[in-house]
Amino acid sequence: MMGHILCSGKIKMAADRSKRYQKIDFLGEGQFATVYKAKDTKTGQIVAVKKIKLGQRAEAKDGINRTALREIKLLQELSHTNIIGLYDVFGHKSNISLVFDFMDTDMEVVTKDTSIVMTGPHIKAYAIMTLEGLEYLHNNWILHRDLKPNNLLVNSQGILKITDFGLAKTFGSPNRVYTHQVVTRWYRAPELLYGARIYGTGVDMWAVGCILAELLLRVPFLPGDSDIDQLSKIFQALGTPSEDTWPGMKSLPDYIEYKQFPGTPLKDIFTAAADDLISLLGKLLCLNPSQRYNCSQALQMPYFSNKPGPTPNPQLPLPSGTSAEILMEDHKVKVGVKRKLPADSDPTLKKKLVF
Amino acid sequence: MDEAICPRCKTTKYRNPSMVLMVNTCGHTLCENCVETLFARGSGTCPECNISLRRNTFRIQQFEDPFVDKEVDIRKRILKIYNRQEEEFTSLREYNDYLEEVETIIFNLSNNIDMELTKKKVEEYQKSNKSNIQRNRSKLSKDEELMEQLIEEEQAYLQHSRQELVQQERREKQRKMRQREELLDNLEFSDLPAGLVLASHTARQEEEMEKKPAPTTQFSTGIRIGGGTSFLPVPKAVEAALYQYRPGTVDLLGPEPPQITLLEENGYMSHMRDSSQADMAGGYTTKLGCHRALQEAFCGLYFVPHLTADSVGQEQDMELE
Repeated sequence: MMGHILCSGKIKMAADRSKRYQKIDFLGEGQFATVYKAKDTKTGQIVAVKKIKLGQRAEAKDGINRTALREIKLLQELSHTNIIGLYDVFGHKSNISLVFDFMDTDMEVVTKDTSIVMTGPHIKAYAIMTLEGLEYLHNNWILHRDLKPNNLLVNSQGILKITDFGLAKTFGSPNRVYTHQVVTRWYRAPELLYGARIYGTGVDMWAVGCILAELLLRVPFLPGDSDIDQLSKIFQALGTPSEDTWPGMKSLPDYIEYKQFPGTPLKDIFTAAADDLISLLGKLLCLNPSQRYNCSQALQMPYFSNKPGPTPNPQLPLPSGTSAEILMEDHKVKVGVKRKLPADSDPTLKKKLVF
Repeated sequence: MDEAICPRCKTTKYRNPSMVLMVNTCGHTLCENCVETLFARGSGTCPECNISLRRNTFRIQQFEDPFVDKEVDIRKRILKIYNRQEEEFTSLREYNDYLEEVETIIFNLSNNIDMELTKKKVEEYQKSNKSNIQRNRSKLSKDEELMEQLIEEEQAYLQHSRQELVQQERREKQRKMRQREELLDNLEFSDLPAGLVLASHTARQEEEMEKKPAPTTQFSTGIRIGGGTSFLPVPKAVEAALYQYRPGTVDLLGPEPPQITLLEENGYMSHMRDSSQADMAGGYTTKLGCHRALQEAFCGLYFVPHLTADSVGQEQDMELE
């Protein structure tokens, strides 16, 4: 199909699409893309435009960046409140840009902002939104494979959306072999660290467990600095598994024997958490992936239906300086400060942009 | 479900994970091992269509459908010959007609329509436009030029920021050296007691340190690092509605597939291959695969074409391309 895309680039594309989005501000830059805040002149909506970088010469020759292609392919067919919405994809010259919902901040910023007090109901609300988005993905046989606080975006209405589908893939096929080098290490499930090539929803659920733990602790729960160290951190916290608790563990490709750690009871790690939350964490951070709860099972646990109820979305805390707060203060839409460059930074940094 | 299988030795990706499928110009696949045995002498015939092939034209299959590989291959070859630029045409209409013609040739060649005629046509074109093709080959197309330029810009920016960093470090080092030398000079030539000189020096150093930008106290997001506040007031808990779980639904456009819990009872599992120990330990269960296969089988059975006639028409157009 890439051949098609390459050749159709030769036939003139409608230029008005690229003019439809008016650049407002620079939001951030990643490995594969630059993100701008823009205004849709047709609807007046504020959107985020992700411009895919060309990257290396060899990559540029192949056509579209692979992660972008995955993202476009999957997001076009998905529609859920807690999944980032892809509105438009347009090409201009040799660039390709993706138009997304505009989001004010992400969970990493929220957890790191010490001026925010995270109460039980807040955490419950975030957990519900994450799990509902993920349940929708899993119901459609899609694994996200890169869940981390950074990829859970929050907008000024307090709605959480899962983003970054550059690593997402369909699952549930018995003869599909996958790579185990997915998910940022701190959120990587033990079966991936042991090199499993066929896996299921468990990899995403483990990441949710780690994120939930991070919301409680306000620091990453298992910050390993290598794959080996990651596993030993996991076992130190949760106890080394045995062939009884995790059958077949020894047949995984990269299995290595670890020292027997007794593990710390989760109650002693999360001293402030209620019992129902501890049992949820226990199910999400279960070492054996086939015993780990999936989204539907997790959402039906008593923690979610118990009192106190989750905080309604608009009341969720936002980092200071997020557009919603400014909006409330002077009733004027101001730019979000997420990843904004300081005003005195090098002006050459802002590249000329052709949408 | 697409299972990569070598048509000759029937090896599958499942049985031999290191198997690599290769494609040649005819669009038929062979696994790497078979290529090695069949084409040990450098050339041979395709076991499926008996076309003589050379070994060095085998390439690793990039796409799930080998036909796409074949098409890409043909496209590359044809575009090398039909490489006229937009500027050579007087009107956009003419240029589009030319592109249309090229597409027809590629389509014909990849679908084996009028092979001889098309090949002859291409050869004739190549002969009559020899000098033109050569000339165009040597100059980059506009698109390529632009891409080159963009890549260069990106790299220049990267280099610029790297140099900036190096320079900053050098300046810092020089400043420290200068200060030290000053102090030594002062101690050597000044009439004042050493203690006083030293004290004034440290004072000046501190002053300079203050002048330097304060260490970052905030993330790039504008949030303060550390915060520093000891206790914050806990927001007043609002009595909120309790959460109630509603199972997510998937719109299948078909009959409801059997529940995953009932798969075993109803005998669906008897047709599934047992998953290995390693698969189970990785979190994959046979039920999962069975459930997905069933769901896919039931999906779209109630699809009524006239409801979305437009989109179907588009899809067909896409396929025709």
